[in-house]
Amino acid sequence: MKTITLTHSGSYTYTLSQAGSELAVIGRFWLKGQDQLDLHLTIIHAAPRTSATTSLKAVVAGRGVVNFNGTIIVKPGASQTNSFLEERVLLLSEKARANAIPNLEIMSADVKCSHAAAIGQIDADQLFYLMSRGLSRPRATHLLAQGFLDT
Amino acid sequence: MSRFAPKHTTRQDLQPQTYEHGYSSPTTNYAFISQPGLSSKVVEAISAYKTEPPWLRHSRLAAYKLFTAKPIPTWGGDLSQIDYDAIHYYLKPTAAETKSWAEVPPEIKITFDRLGIPQAERAVLAGVKAQYDSEVIYGSIKKMLSDQGVIFISTDEAVKKYPDLFKQYFGTLIPAGDNKFAALNTAVWSGGSFVYVPAGVTVTLPLQAYFRINAPQAGQFERTLIIAEAGSQVHYVEGCTAPAFSSASLHSAVVEIFVGPGARVQYTTIQNWYKTVYNLVTKRARVETEGEMIWTDFNMGSKLSMKYPGYILAGKGARGETLSLALAGPDQHQDTGSKAVHLAPYTTSTIISKSISKGGGRTSYRGLVNIGPQAHHSKSKVVCDALLLDELSRSDTYPTNRIFNHQVSLEHEATVSKIGAEQLFYLMSRGLTEEAASKLIVSGFVAPLVKKLPLEYAVEMNRLIDLEMEGSIG
Repeated sequence: MKTITLTHSGSYTYTLSQAGSELAVIGRFWLKGQDQLDLHLTIIHAAPRTSATTSLKAVVAGRGVVNFNGTIIVKPGASQTNSFLEERVLLLSEKARANAIPNLEIMSADVKCSHAAAIGQIDADQLFYLMSRGLSRPRATHLLAQGFLDT
Repeated sequence: MSRFAPKHTTRQDLQPQTYEHGYSSPTTNYAFISQPGLSSKVVEAISAYKTEPPWLRHSRLAAYKLFTAKPIPTWGGDLSQIDYDAIHYYLKPTAAETKSWAEVPPEIKITFDRLGIPQAERAVLAGVKAQYDSEVIYGSIKKMLSDQGVIFISTDEAVKKYPDLFKQYFGTLIPAGDNKFAALNTAVWSGGSFVYVPAGVTVTLPLQAYFRINAPQAGQFERTLIIAEAGSQVHYVEGCTAPAFSSASLHSAVVEIFVGPGARVQYTTIQNWYKTVYNLVTKRARVETEGEMIWTDFNMGSKLSMKYPGYILAGKGARGETLSLALAGPDQHQDTGSKAVHLAPYTTSTIISKSISKGGGRTSYRGLVNIGPQAHHSKSKVVCDALLLDELSRSDTYPTNRIFNHQVSLEHEATVSKIGAEQLFYLMSRGLTEEAASKLIVSGFVAPLVKKLPLEYAVEMNRLIDLEMEGSIG
């Protein structure tokens, strides 16, 4: 299985044109200050029995802005395709912004495709637990955000 | 009783005569039919024919200018085949709306009798509007409700009877410039329902509007306004059918709903137009503090539907819910979804969309969740499930999520799959035929949505889905 790690903004297109090929795309981002991230990602399944997992995660602090725009396209004839796309964003500050657009275009029947998008904040219970163990709020927040990106 | 026309699509070459409500009546007795095509003259003629106040005529003319100025949308479905010059924009079947079923002209009466409207009215409805081409030809409401101050009349009647109320709300939620088809509707609108529920009144039985296109190359542009005052409740149901003509018809409605504080409005659509009808509809609700708006949107008919019922959650704690079901057969494209705009804190939205594509049909979910800077502690959940029944069909999901606040929770999930081989095998090992097993799986797939309908509609809906599925699986 081929693994691709994304580190910068940009438009990326990956085509699975060989039957049975597998692909994993991973993007992990931490935005601070005025950082802006624009990621356009297209995964095209053009051959049968191909599978792909795409996982994009971002922690946004300060005035950071994240734009995730991911698309899975399954071409006609690309049967028995498996594809999963996730876009998860953790917002740490009031001025942080997030846009998540996960698209699917499925033109073949025998497929299993799904996507998930979630935008949220640090879980209050988890934060409380760590702080009760003596960690400062910034330290606890940092630890939880780090954990979010590591999984 | 069958108000919603079942379509047998047992073969790939869909036969028009199997659409149960494909019949039509002659248009020779119509009171007025506008020439095909649209110009400012046609717009003025409609306004003059309806003897409208000058402000409304100006609003129509301004909207017509916007319509001609706006480009045809290039996203969504294919709109290039609509011939705007071939469409009759105004067709008036009778001289006036009647309150008594006996006074409805016989050929129209036959149509609605065949659709089961009068029986349904007696049995399960609080009020009925029947719109035939451009005009509402029949209307009734139970006396108990009108005594409580509930208004349920055609929108044209509202212009005359309640001019202030009408002017206060008309076009404030969906202005003419909202999109090309909202502009078209504002220019040539006719008919539709005007519902007003006073504060604290609960309308227990549904109000039903029935929309029927009868003439070929007709345009139907109804305009519906629903105003639910504080603490009131109402459920409005609309059904749509059209004859089996080979020429295209255009249906472009605008629906504006105002949900007062603590009020609850449910709007159910069962759209079963014939498969030559373009269905381009704009629907939006504004929900005040602790109010609740529920869209139940079932799309089975039409050639192309582009419809994204939305809500603006403007008051603290307002809720919005959309349940959307789309079925696309051969040559059909259902481009549907929902828009949730959160403006106030503690607002919640839930969008559940299920779609089934078969025989080369295409379903698309297109949605928007926008959580504004003031909408802290808001929650949104979007679930889209699509079932693809064969290699020819297509399913898309285009969700857009815009978040301008960090104290929110947003979830979006979508899956696309076919009928599971294991599920099928299990049921068949229990003695079901493949077709029966597939039908069972499909009904299970749509069950969570159908359950939300009033019982009588749910039974009808299940029967319809069964018919749609006949012979199409395997």
